[in-house]
Amino acid sequence: MATVSAASVRFASLKPASRSNQTNGVTSGVKFVTIGTSKLSFPSLRSSRFRVHCAAKPETVNKVIDIVKKQLALSDDTSLTPESKFSSLGADSLDTVEIVMCLEEEFDISVDEDNSQNITTVQEAADLIEKLVLQKAEAA
Amino acid sequence: MMGILFSRILITPIDFVGVVTVGGLEMENGVRRWLVNISQWNPSEAQFASVISLFRVDEQTAITRYIKFEDKKRALVSRLLQYSLVHEVLGIPSDKIIIHRTAEGKPYLKNSIDFPFSNFNFNVSHHGDYVGIASEPLCLVGLDIVSITTPKQETELEFINNFSPYLTALEWKNIAHAGSSEEMLAEFYRYWCLKEAFVKAIGAGLDYGLCRLEFHHTNWTGVSVYIDGVESKKWRFSLSKLDEKHWASIARGLPNKANELCCSDLSLPELGFTFRTVEELISNVN
Repeated sequence: MATVSAASVRFASLKPASRSNQTNGVTSGVKFVTIGTSKLSFPSLRSSRFRVHCAAKPETVNKVIDIVKKQLALSDDTSLTPESKFSSLGADSLDTVEIVMCLEEEFDISVDEDNSQNITTVQEAADLIEKLVLQKAEAA
Repeated sequence: MMGILFSRILITPIDFVGVVTVGGLEMENGVRRWLVNISQWNPSEAQFASVISLFRVDEQTAITRYIKFEDKKRALVSRLLQYSLVHEVLGIPSDKIIIHRTAEGKPYLKNSIDFPFSNFNFNVSHHGDYVGIASEPLCLVGLDIVSITTPKQETELEFINNFSPYLTALEWKNIAHAGSSEEMLAEFYRYWCLKEAFVKAIGAGLDYGLCRLEFHHTNWTGVSVYIDGVESKKWRFSLSKLDEKHWASIARGLPNKANELCCSDLSLPELGFTFRTVEELISNVN
């Protein structure tokens, strides 16, 4: 059930988009910035096709935290935990693009439409990343 | 109908309070462009707490869940602008105003409104030192503010390159030819600002590809948008420099079912921004 006030991040495809509006939950382009909303927020419907079964390793979570902290210029004593919600961190659309880019580079993955998933917390981002890393390894 | 109404009114210069003077009488026209410079508001904790308490609990929670104080400040001022504007334009008592958010996070007025403001809509934005709001009675309106910030972790070019999927070849060419890296950065931000204003006006979320939009302009005036290669006659844009580091763009467009003939609103000149202070907004809302 969609929760209107939930904040979640959808990793938008960063490839040159020739795709137009799609209704299967796939998106391209970046969420616009609005005041007071979860800046990385999107409809929080979780697609059951992409349910992640294993929680990500702490190292992955920590790397996500580092990247997000750096991108959003959060002070070192800002405590970011795996449960930290992206919505509370004040990222705008420019930040979102950069964070996703950094994560793609750091983990050498490509977050494309087929893999996109709604992410509300740091843990969920890390989970998705590990899933993509695994998929890439399996495909190789 | 609205179009007929407006086209028959002798439009005197629309002054900054967003009213039209008709035969000596002032008529509310529903158009506002407000800005607050939040670098000029530095409340103590106690003052901040007292301003937050003006709002209902759900709004308070939405404001306080931000980690950084600057974000809390922006969220609070944004709400002050929203409630203050709705109160002033539509006359709804502050405690009766209900503002919800779409699934994409866009705030909108939940209260039902009568003609002639039945399509009244507004949009808010913030970046850097400014928080702003724009409202229109009939046209869809989108506002985006950008603060041109020198990237810290990378060069200007590296930074701009992150956004290459969202710009068209023409736009890239213009950015590349803008001059120094600072000028290229500013050029990029102006394009981004316009794209965001459009997407926000239509209330789109992620399922809109920014690279479908191509902005044409003559020195940043006469801005028009090509959507999927076709020039749109239903949208007007303006870009304003707020100060050395901040720009704001307004997107105004006809609601879906309207055609150009029925709404002459679009041809009205763009209203300039009015600067408001937090203190004024608070007394408006109180």
